[in-house]
Amino acid sequence: MGMTTETSPDAAGRVAFLTPPTPAQLRRGTSPPAEAAWGWACHSLIVRTRDPAPVEFVRSRTSGWRLWETAVPAPHGSAAARERLGREALRPVRGDGCPVRAVLLRYADGVADLVLVAVRRWVPRAALEQIADLVLLGQDPDVPASPGEPPPARHAWPTVGWGLGDPQRDGIVGTRSLAAHGLPADSREILTGALALTLARYTGEATVEVGRADTDTPRWEPERVRVQIDEDEGPAALLAGFDVLTAAPPQQAVPPVGLLTTSGSPDRTYLPSLRPVFPLTLHAATDPTGTTELTCWFDEGSVCPDVAATFCAAVESAAAHLASAPAVPALSDIPLLAPDETARILRLGGADVRLDVPPERIDRRFEKVARRLPDAVALADENEEVTYRQLDERAERVAAGLRELGAAPDDLVGLCLDRDTALVIAMLGILKAGCAYVPMDATYPPDRLRYIAEDARLRLVIGAPERFPSLDGVEVVEPREVDRRGARAQDAASERPSRRPRPGSPDSAAYVIYTSGSTGRPKGVVVPHRNVAALLDATSGDFALGPEDVWTLFHSSAFDFSVWEIWGCLLTGGRLVVVPYWTARDPDAFHRLLAERKVTVLNQTPSAFSQLVRADQTAHAVRTAGADRTAHAALSVRLLVFGGEPLDVNLLTPWFARYSPSRCRVVNMFGITETTVHVTAQTVTPADVAAGSRSVGRPLPGWSVSVRDTRGRVLPPGAAGEIHVAGAGVASGYLRRPGLTARRFAVEPGTGVRRYRSGDRGRLRPDGRLDHLGRLDDQVKIRGHRVELDEIRSVLAAHPAVRAALVVVGAAEGDAAEQRLDGYVVLDRPDGAPAVLDVTRAVLDEARRILPPYMVPATLTAVPEIPLTPNGKPDTARLPAPTALARPHSAGPVPDAAPPPEDGAEPDGLAAEILDIWRRQLRTEVTASDNFFELGGNSLLVIRVLTAMRERGLPAVTPRDFYTHSTADRFIRFVGEKRDASAGDAPARDGGGDRPPPRNPADESATASHGRNRPGHAR
Amino acid sequence: MTLKGKTAVITGAARGIGRACAVRFAREGADLVLLDIAADLPGVGYPLGSRDQLDHTAELCEREGAAVLAAPLDVRDPAGVDAAVAAALDRFHGIDVLVNNAGIAAPSGRAVHEIGEPDWALMLDVDLSGAWRMIKAVAPGMVERRSGSVINLSSTAGLVGYRNFSAYVAAKHGLVGLTRAAALDYAPHRVRVNALCPGSVRDDPLVEGRMLVEIARSLDLPAAGHEEIFLRDQPTNALIEPTAVAGAAAWLAGDDAWQMTGAVLTVDGGFTSR
Repeated sequence: MGMTTETSPDAAGRVAFLTPPTPAQLRRGTSPPAEAAWGWACHSLIVRTRDPAPVEFVRSRTSGWRLWETAVPAPHGSAAARERLGREALRPVRGDGCPVRAVLLRYADGVADLVLVAVRRWVPRAALEQIADLVLLGQDPDVPASPGEPPPARHAWPTVGWGLGDPQRDGIVGTRSLAAHGLPADSREILTGALALTLARYTGEATVEVGRADTDTPRWEPERVRVQIDEDEGPAALLAGFDVLTAAPPQQAVPPVGLLTTSGSPDRTYLPSLRPVFPLTLHAATDPTGTTELTCWFDEGSVCPDVAATFCAAVESAAAHLASAPAVPALSDIPLLAPDETARILRLGGADVRLDVPPERIDRRFEKVARRLPDAVALADENEEVTYRQLDERAERVAAGLRELGAAPDDLVGLCLDRDTALVIAMLGILKAGCAYVPMDATYPPDRLRYIAEDARLRLVIGAPERFPSLDGVEVVEPREVDRRGARAQDAASERPSRRPRPGSPDSAAYVIYTSGSTGRPKGVVVPHRNVAALLDATSGDFALGPEDVWTLFHSSAFDFSVWEIWGCLLTGGRLVVVPYWTARDPDAFHRLLAERKVTVLNQTPSAFSQLVRADQTAHAVRTAGADRTAHAALSVRLLVFGGEPLDVNLLTPWFARYSPSRCRVVNMFGITETTVHVTAQTVTPADVAAGSRSVGRPLPGWSVSVRDTRGRVLPPGAAGEIHVAGAGVASGYLRRPGLTARRFAVEPGTGVRRYRSGDRGRLRPDGRLDHLGRLDDQVKIRGHRVELDEIRSVLAAHPAVRAALVVVGAAEGDAAEQRLDGYVVLDRPDGAPAVLDVTRAVLDEARRILPPYMVPATLTAVPEIPLTPNGKPDTARLPAPTALARPHSAGPVPDAAPPPEDGAEPDGLAAEILDIWRRQLRTEVTASDNFFELGGNSLLVIRVLTAMRERGLPAVTPRDFYTHSTADRFIRFVGEKRDASAGDAPARDGGGDRPPPRNPADESATASHGRNRPGHAR
Repeated sequence: MTLKGKTAVITGAARGIGRACAVRFAREGADLVLLDIAADLPGVGYPLGSRDQLDHTAELCEREGAAVLAAPLDVRDPAGVDAAVAAALDRFHGIDVLVNNAGIAAPSGRAVHEIGEPDWALMLDVDLSGAWRMIKAVAPGMVERRSGSVINLSSTAGLVGYRNFSAYVAAKHGLVGLTRAAALDYAPHRVRVNALCPGSVRDDPLVEGRMLVEIARSLDLPAAGHEEIFLRDQPTNALIEPTAVAGAAAWLAGDDAWQMTGAVLTVDGGFTSR
């Protein structure tokens, strides 16, 4: 008989007599630690009697022990009586007093409960039974005093990842009853197997450990059972393969789930522990007739009630199937989720939310907007402003020009232009011609441009012929030339006033974006028009996008974040401000642009944003100090959208200090090129920052997500698996790669629903929000241990001195096979802060405190910035060589405490000073003939060098000037001239044009790995 | 149910404010250890709480669903205090709330130089040292669990003087001082110590109170019309109800007051605001 016989679960599935903690315990985080420890150390026995009259003694003659009697002015079984019984049965005893407490609860109807609570280690269950017998006979049980040494505290529990427990509810016990249909009398093995199979499905592990404790043994201790799960085998193999580990479990190795078996009788209820023995404990109580009652106890600090409910249902199902062993050929045939439960989980992931709008082409929708707002400014860059009418007309000319050039509907047209208004006009023109654009970043290396042109079989590219590799059969045409031909064609056609019928359908491809392939060559993702229209239908209402909004085009057109920037703006009537190449690389300049242009909708990758937020702080500090009255004002951004990589919410702390979430909404969006930019959206608040949330929110209306295991089975909330995306955003597939398309885009057999297998790891929360847990292939093994790089990164990033962090798997010197974790941190160092090495050591010490030893990085290197790819994602390939902290006095190549050069230095004092700055930023020796980029410099180090120069009072240099003078001696000469010029009157004039720089080695290596690189990506 | 899961120890629980607090705490979900001298005291010229009254308080609390341990205790007896606290811990595992309510109002009614050595010593032993002894016995357990609330029942006599009541006034002022000092001692351990200063409390027959009438007797006021006389000094034109004091005590005991410590809270209908 189980503990639930006298109680019935309340609506929340919690047995009423279990006492919840007080509000203060919740507020303070935990119940008093002493309480929790004692609760684990104690057990209790409840004996019901209808004839308590013989109890005559109250105090033992030989020991200090006594029987407490108390009247309960309510009949037994009533709510009040149950409440009292629960209070007594779950109230621990102290180790320093008497080891057994006996309380006789006399109910108003003559029934009584004798409640014995004892320290389990000193008073085993058999003794407890004997004490009860004696007390009920009215005899003195002669209980000895406590031996004095307190029992051990509760085992420290490991985090149960799938449990989604709330640490604030640590110590609160939830319970659920389970059905035990068809279980044999001794169901211990089957229940162990059921727990193991369920746990294996939840964790995706083939080997799991389940806890077990048989409380009928005199002095029971939990044991661990290791179970191998081969889903292709049948139940018999599972049940035969238990490996009982008798060694006492180490503190951190308490299994997350376990089985507790007890035997009892109808009038005796035994509680083996006042707290769950394992974070989730299945308690099987068997009475003399062989009837087993199953109750699940769980600590809400480890497992939340919703997850526990589904887990229990899965255990029920697994146990029933295992009990009918011959009927089950293989474990993989055992469904843990009932069909309606699976349907519920799919609905939770948004499967039944449909977008109730007809499909539409991008160009058609644009034309509607242009008709409505003909004179509103659609596009602006440094040189010009283009209204919606002008944009429409100029794009029409492009379309006409393309037709003149031989482009037919559904052709693919390459687009390789610098970021300016012409790019957007050409893009829209391509769509108006019924073609799809294939964007290529103008800074791509020639090999990559050639590869894309050939792979996409392009015949026509709008771009600069002198900057595109010449290829047979590929015509590269300047935008001006397309416009000219278009105008001519329109003149010729002007006698025919009716516009030609529009080519193309909403199902035609709008663009093909190439993303990096894990197996080498990039692959083209084909996205149809209707997907982009659906993206706007799904978001424009919620984000209140409209003509008052000012957007930036910040990202490369080859990165699909730009699809959102361009069409999100132009299909809702907003003004799109094109961010020049150089401005996008200069956070201060970009900040100035945002302020001056009064940008309201800003889209950023978290990595790029980390620099912008610093520029914002600098601008604010300058203005507050009154040092520069011309410094730009606060930003007008009302919507800040993160995309492209996982967001570390810590990044937002300085942002929220300046911008209220009620005036500027911050939205974290998860998405993939193959699902049309976005999938989910989560509004981030300061509360999420405080909680360190990893949520990416719920799917957009029309999009849906499910988390599935490697066999494609839907996993319940809490369990981590691969994120599958279905709905309005799923791309058509990969260009001319039917095999790959079939592998990554699954088709549901019954419904024909297409799902994209993202390769991202996630878990659904019971409220339908998705947690993003990194890449599936991010998971690394270090000497056999499973390690999440993102977890280590979060720990490093949580240190107050750390602004950003990255963890990669590096190879140990001399032995590529022996892997090692290398950590990189960007430190937040105000003036007068301790030396870098001291800080990194402190960060590592803190990490040691939080992480198991095998997860602590072997090296931790302070870097000025996390290097980024052109798409603003972390570029692990460009991290410097790691600094080993194990040798305390080798501070790396650059001693941090080097004295600054003296003022009024010699003529070559300037050279020494600049070389010193380069040396520090590049972390290597620099001579006058070295090129910055050949020494590992990158666009962010450029920013750091320029910042350092400003701090030392050297002349201000723009990033553009830096790129055109990237060899040390040239740069020193340039700065010297500039200083001399400013000492006179004429400011030095640089000769650089508006174009991006000639390609340099560093940028080539970065763009080669273009695509959705994520932090923590193994290199 | 703001005190659900808590165990409260109340001294002087047989009647009056002690009983009002006990019943209110029971209603808020607390389990209770009810202590009272449950006997008369030589030197105090009026009957103190009885065992019957203590048992009646216990029964009232049990009706509210509380588990109750009721026992006689003279707070002047250190061994008795230790034994009572040990029994409370055996029965209830931990003590969350201590209400130091036990106190006497007589012998009083004399000017300072007229008070005899034994009378002065008796008043301070019960009203001030009794509270100290209880804190001394209970606080270590609260410190160990890093949780607890101590409420000392002082009086408006802990804030202002009353003629011919110097021993009582001194003891109640002392209780305010003890509160402030103890609050600092235990603040790092998250154990809170606060004082409650009731004004003239009506002798509610429901709680069998008789403090006011005994104070009146000490002042040679007419037993029949004494309430009228006390009422004259009450800005609210009402005597203080025991349940109002119990309400303030329940709040101090509970977690809503989790940042209140060292506070001296009056429940006096504005008396000391004049």
